[in-house]
Amino acid sequence: MISTQFPVYLVIIPLAIAVILPLLKQHRRLIQSIVSLTVGLMFFLALFNWFELHSFGAYAYNFGGYAANLGIQFYIDELTSLLVLFILFLSFIIISYSFADIPHELEPHQFGLYYSLILLLLFSMLGMVYTNDLFNMYVFMEILSITSTAIISIKHRKANFLASFRYLMLSSIGSITILFGLAFLYMVTGHLNMFEVHKVIQSVWTTYPMNLLLASGFILTGLGIKSAMFPLHVWLPDAHASAPSPSSAFLSALVVKVYIFAMYKILFRVLGTMMVKGLGIDQAILIFAALGMVFGSIFAIGQRDIKRMLAYSSVAQIGYIFLGLGLMSEQGLAASLFHIFSHGLMKTALFLSAGSIIFATGKRKLSDLDGIGYRMPVTMIVFSIAAFGMIGIPGVSGFMSKIYLGLALIEGQHPIYLALILLSSFLNAVYYLPIIIAAFLKEDPENRHAMKMDPLPKRMWIPMVVLAICLIVIGFYPQLIMDIIEASLPAYLVG
Amino acid sequence: MNDLIVKTIVRWVIPFIQLFGVYVVFYGHVSFGGGFSGGALIGASLILYAITFGLKASKKMVPHKRSQWMESLGILWYIALGLVGIYTSAYFLGNKAAGFYMGEAGQLLSAGIIPLLTIGIGVKVASTMITLFQKLVEENEDV
Repeated sequence: MISTQFPVYLVIIPLAIAVILPLLKQHRRLIQSIVSLTVGLMFFLALFNWFELHSFGAYAYNFGGYAANLGIQFYIDELTSLLVLFILFLSFIIISYSFADIPHELEPHQFGLYYSLILLLLFSMLGMVYTNDLFNMYVFMEILSITSTAIISIKHRKANFLASFRYLMLSSIGSITILFGLAFLYMVTGHLNMFEVHKVIQSVWTTYPMNLLLASGFILTGLGIKSAMFPLHVWLPDAHASAPSPSSAFLSALVVKVYIFAMYKILFRVLGTMMVKGLGIDQAILIFAALGMVFGSIFAIGQRDIKRMLAYSSVAQIGYIFLGLGLMSEQGLAASLFHIFSHGLMKTALFLSAGSIIFATGKRKLSDLDGIGYRMPVTMIVFSIAAFGMIGIPGVSGFMSKIYLGLALIEGQHPIYLALILLSSFLNAVYYLPIIIAAFLKEDPENRHAMKMDPLPKRMWIPMVVLAICLIVIGFYPQLIMDIIEASLPAYLVG
Repeated sequence: MNDLIVKTIVRWVIPFIQLFGVYVVFYGHVSFGGGFSGGALIGASLILYAITFGLKASKKMVPHKRSQWMESLGILWYIALGLVGIYTSAYFLGNKAAGFYMGEAGQLLSAGIIPLLTIGIGVKVASTMITLFQKLVEENEDV
């Protein structure tokens, strides 16, 4: 297999480029071409790796050739590499959008530094997705949370400093909690490699139920803070609303998802379905997920700032993902993974179009958006498509993820949660539809119905249109992604 | 700080701190410490210099440009050593299998890749500490 080393290259290339960038001359052109070449190259490496995995199957990569119980291990299966592919695809789109938006939002000398941070973010996300070692996961998690704090606070404004400080404090609490939980797991099992831990846990979980419950409680709370599970979401709205728009897209569409993926790993690979169900952890996840679905939407209704509203809507959508996860069944996992992909695409489209509105008009308030559809038709059409997806109107990918989730819920005998999904969809409609109606049907006080092309550079609207096309294609042909997910799930769950 | 006693003592102490830091870095694989602790010692000596003689003198000794290069080169050195492992033994960061000189356990020249890695880590940590300190002082002066 030619691509055995590619996961390692995928992790070290962004790290190397991130430290080389500050040394170069800070020409915008130079940095742009280096960053886009790097991410493009990484995408092709990941694609090649993914193709080869189909014929060769999953494999473990031991660093330094040490045995699994001694050294650090990457475990590369089809699902992992699919997620990596998705991360790189979305990053490429967001980065090509950001080349036009970032000079507008940051000072000129920060341009190179911003991309250093983005590459470090990619480095830690890919590391977290690939790793099969609990402590290594913790290390990548720390890098990820510090880097995300930095891309929030890079804008020198009071709101950003406050939001990023809050995020830093809460995510440090989360990290410490996770570390504590990992220590408990290590105490019971004596291993850090996920497979080794799993082997031991399967035989001893009835002997040490309290200890393991405590461990999983700590770990899930920590990951819950970082992935904005409902009552622990308080940092998210400020952070995502005040960051530059490409950063918001990164944080909301990818970073949070990586933490959720880490949670999959903990629940399915480390603890195992039997123990999670035996100790009733899945019930707790379901309840918090349902609360998040409803309350996230309710909070979003009250918002006046467009980016804050989108941030609260993320809390609700993360509730859906956790709902699928809490079922602890193969279908639930598939539905929740599908929603990771479709929410990633939708939220990126929404944040990028909100960013374009702010870029072109400087308006952030929802009440100022009357008639904006005539001044920025492309942006608002993309926004509407993604918002329809969020509501769950057929033809957009969000509808399909709700269907899959509903089917999984019926299969798992939880009809009450199905009613909550309907309620949450209705609440989504309550806050998304007025924006669309105001944009296209109300009169703009400044210019009267003169339809124009968006005053945006090409670099900004092409990525948004690509996202909208992806959303509709997946909406009509969900099998494109679902088949791959279902085909790769068994290999993932065997672990 | 303009105090003759402090300045004289610091001038005497710094070489010893740095020597000890270098010792901790080089003997990381056979005794306590390693790249991080040794690098922190060297960085602390540079910070001590900055505190006693002021930001200007410190910037003359460690200009920002230089510490930036050191920081990046520390990481790149680590990555490059890891890549050597891929080309000779098929594993990133491969040690014995990659053909590094293993020597005799307990000797200075032993343990293959590990002392080489600690040197990179030491350089990175020392330069990061002094850069962070200079940056913090600068930010304070701007306000």
